Amino acid sequence: MDHVVTCAACGTIAEDGSKFCEHCGTPLGAVDPAPVVAEAVPEQPATAPVCRACGGTIADDGYCESCGEPAVSERDHWSELPSALVGGVCDRGRRKSRNEDAMALALGGPTAVLVVCDGVSNVPDSDVASLTSARAARDVLVTGAAGSTVGTWSALLVTAAAAADQAIADAVGDTSDRAEPPSCTFVAAVVDGPTVVAGWLGDSRVYWLPDEGAAHQVSVDDSAANEMIARGVPRAKAEASREGHAITRWLGPDAETVVPSTGTTRAQGPGWVLACSDGLWNYCSEATDVADLLHRTIAQVGTSPDVIAAELVRWANEQGGHDNITAALARIATPVDTVHTDEAVPADPAPTAA
Amino acid sequence: MADFRTEVFQNEFLSDGATDVHAIVTVTSSGAGTAATSSGGIAELVIIDTSGSMSGPNMDAAKYAAQVAVDQIADGTWFAVIGGSHVANRAFPYPNAPVAIVQMEPGAREEAKRAISYMRPSGGTAMSTWLRLADAIFAEVPQVAQKHAILLTDGRNESEPRGELSSAISAVTGHFQCDARGVGSSWEVAELREIATALLGTVDLIRNPADIAADFKALVNESMSKGVADAELRVWAPQGAQVLFVRRVAPTVEDLTARRTEVNALTGAYPTGAWGDESRDYHVAVRVASKPVGSEQLAARVQIAVGGDVLASGLVKARWSDDSSLTARINPEVAHYTGQAELASVIQEGLAAKASGDEATATVKLGRAVQLAAETGNEEATSRLRRVVEIDDEEQGTVRLKRNTDKLDEMALDTASTKTTRVRR
Repeated sequence: MDHVVTCAACGTIAEDGSKFCEHCGTPLGAVDPAPVVAEAVPEQPATAPVCRACGGTIADDGYCESCGEPAVSERDHWSELPSALVGGVCDRGRRKSRNEDAMALALGGPTAVLVVCDGVSNVPDSDVASLTSARAARDVLVTGAAGSTVGTWSALLVTAAAAADQAIADAVGDTSDRAEPPSCTFVAAVVDGPTVVAGWLGDSRVYWLPDEGAAHQVSVDDSAANEMIARGVPRAKAEASREGHAITRWLGPDAETVVPSTGTTRAQGPGWVLACSDGLWNYCSEATDVADLLHRTIAQVGTSPDVIAAELVRWANEQGGHDNITAALARIATPVDTVHTDEAVPADPAPTAA
Repeated sequence: MADFRTEVFQNEFLSDGATDVHAIVTVTSSGAGTAATSSGGIAELVIIDTSGSMSGPNMDAAKYAAQVAVDQIADGTWFAVIGGSHVANRAFPYPNAPVAIVQMEPGAREEAKRAISYMRPSGGTAMSTWLRLADAIFAEVPQVAQKHAILLTDGRNESEPRGELSSAISAVTGHFQCDARGVGSSWEVAELREIATALLGTVDLIRNPADIAADFKALVNESMSKGVADAELRVWAPQGAQVLFVRRVAPTVEDLTARRTEVNALTGAYPTGAWGDESRDYHVAVRVASKPVGSEQLAARVQIAVGGDVLASGLVKARWSDDSSLTARINPEVAHYTGQAELASVIQEGLAAKASGDEATATVKLGRAVQLAAETGNEEATSRLRRVVEIDDEEQGTVRLKRNTDKLDEMALDTASTKTTRVRR
């Protein structure tokens, strides 16, 4: 499938040249006719869906025939593995009724691309906004990867954020006039050789987690918590405060600016780049804590990024799963031997449903 | 084919650590047709007491009522008439007839009424023999899907040990349905209730022999109006869960928990008998393993199946929440029927205590009954209770036992104890 446009709202495959989804009428303008390098949400399986709790069969009424667990829709939980070194899981969590997080991962030429968007809670269609913007940004980054050098990534991230914002406007249409229009955070990481470039609006994060040595957060949250930290409030207290979660920048019709901040880091040794939503980092905010969690997880489940991400999501759910959870990982194997050189991209990079 | 519909009433929100899920499932059938349109047809038996105690107005009224019943039985219906004393005798078809059961037609109707007029009271009462003969007669028409009997007595089952009746009841359970009626005040409510409960029928008191005919007419008509011969209620519960109870709660309370037969490892079937166009409520309680706050799971699928096909399914859910405004809410239907089921049992226990001379227990139980009847708006129960107790405080359930109560009033209270009122919606 080299050129399939799917509706961001309902997943229906659009006819070539259509501007609106045949099934639900959502505008399709969000998706450029540029080649989409990696598949995002897998097609609905034709066979009876399998219960994620016990492996039983999901009945027509939407619950497992054995254990009664509700079926999860693909939008509520999915996994991507565009290469053996790039993978992630996006999950509804336990408390929210919808998954308003989204991710879009790809391997574009020599470059790994991780995009995570977190829809603003309880605003209608934020789930549509986050998915359409994540995919739009990913496609810009993948398409632009060929001509990019380390020095031009920041500019491309700005373009990607603008495309993501435009995608939201196209997808949500008239609802942009509402008092609370759909909106979402944005964080993207490109991994080019040993170099990690991140761009963000809001509080979704990119961490650099080396196998050895000090971990650090590459992004800097656009959040009220951070403004408090800047004023001298201890981090833990600021992040736990009631207003700490308010974000100060975002994507969407009511955003004041959609120019992302960017930051760059250069790996000195092998390690992992993690892009995640606050559904994960709420339970382990400090970079050293995230690194410890990651290393413990790898010791348990091995080094496949989708499996690690699934385990991180499971862990966050175990902590309470208060928010939607997204964890996306890219491996820098050695600072010189980069993501693309030692592992071939699978011919059909079908994401695996966890 | 009948259309079945289910509606589920419950509070699906459970507090952290809670395990028990309660729901009222209303099952409604429409387009059931009549017995005449049901495939396989219908067989109807009239069983009347011909023991010596029936002599006089009871026998005359019972014979008249049996004739009225025969008049109501539609042409084409398989039927027979049994006279019961310490032994059971087939009154029609005549004992010397080559067949035990015939299809109704005008000639048979006239002959049956003549046969009924020949019935004479004598001997004792052994109802086990009546049920076993009825079972043998029904066995002659295995092709008939819907089998129904009316049983009338005026006295205790005094000619045999109680265990004999119980074993006959279990031997015939599932073979036919039976409504049981007692005339006068000398019969035992518990005996007829045991028959009616097992055989998916009703039990009732007929105070005045003159009213038997109207009751028989209504029973036969109701039987003829049921176009679905046999439906079963199925309850699926998840792996590891426990079905605490399954109770019919409207139109009457009937505990079905022990009537479970296994459909598969997770699903049990409970008999419901024949259905016309009607609506019944079931209370299902399931215990599931507690899950973390925020989790959701299906606690039960409550289904109606006819001939092995599931025609309707209701979903009972569980969602754990730490929002006490959600979890503390008690579903009004569940509360109402929990009260009505308790009402039925405290009435029965109170009357049993009174009969055994335990006035203290009787006063407490019947006081609680008065309180529950008021809380659940069951005015009929309140008025029946008033004939047995003096009510000092309805809200507190403070009562005094009446002296010299009419035995018929106590029996009426007992037989009607399981009748429920529905929730006003």
